[in-house]
Amino acid sequence: MIHSVIITHGKLGRELIQVAEKILEQKLDIEVIAFDWQDDGSAMIAQLEKFIAARPGQKTVIFTDMFGGSPSNISTRFINANVEVISGINLPGLLKFFCCGEHNGNFRQIVKKVEQEAKDGINIISEYLGEKK
Amino acid sequence: MIEKKQQIYNKLGLHARAAAKLSHMANMFSSDIYLIYNEDKVNAKSLLGILTLAASVGNEITLQAAGEDEKEALAAISDLFDRKFDEES
Repeated sequence: MIHSVIITHGKLGRELIQVAEKILEQKLDIEVIAFDWQDDGSAMIAQLEKFIAARPGQKTVIFTDMFGGSPSNISTRFINANVEVISGINLPGLLKFFCCGEHNGNFRQIVKKVEQEAKDGINIISEYLGEKK
Repeated sequence: MIEKKQQIYNKLGLHARAAAKLSHMANMFSSDIYLIYNEDKVNAKSLLGILTLAASVGNEITLQAAGEDEKEALAAISDLFDRKFDEES
C-alpha cells in the first residue's frame, strides 16, 4: 500500500482527482490539500506533517502541480526513504498510479513509472501521429 | 494463443472510461492480452496504452490473448465491447 497526497494551487488537485474518479469509477484514497493563495504555507505544512506522522514508516507519494511552486517546495522538505514527491502531475500520471494494480512492486520503480507516464502523456499530437505512421 | 476480430460499437470508442473498464477487466486474467489496431499492438492491461490506439466507433480491432485463461479472457472482453461498455442502453 502506497499512500498518496495531492497538493496544488487552488482547487486544481480536487478537480484532477474528481476526473480520475469519474474515469476509474471508484473513490480514490488520496489526501487532497489546496494551497490557498493567501496562505503563508503553514497550514499546508501542518496538514502534511499530520498525514505523514499518522503513517510512520509507510510509503507515501506527494503529487504537486508544478516544480518550484509553493506546494512543491514545501513538499520537498518531507522527502525521505519512504516519502517521494512527483511534481507537475497530470491525469495520465494519476491514472497510472491508481489503475490496475500498479502498486505492486518496488516503491522506486512505481514512482518512476508514474513519472514516465505523466511525461509520455504530453504530446504535440500531429508529431505523435506522424511518428506512428 | 487465440485471436478475435472485434468491432467497436459504443459511440465514444475507446475513450478514457471505456479504456479503464477494459484494462480493469483484462487485469482479472492471468493471460497476456493485447489489442491490435492498424499496426499498433498495446497491452490490454494498460489503460494509457489502450488510449494511444485512439480507436473509434466502427473501427475493427483484433483481440489477442495467450495463457491459461485465454478463452475466458477473450470472451469476457469481447462481451464488454458488445455491451458497448455499458455506456448505452
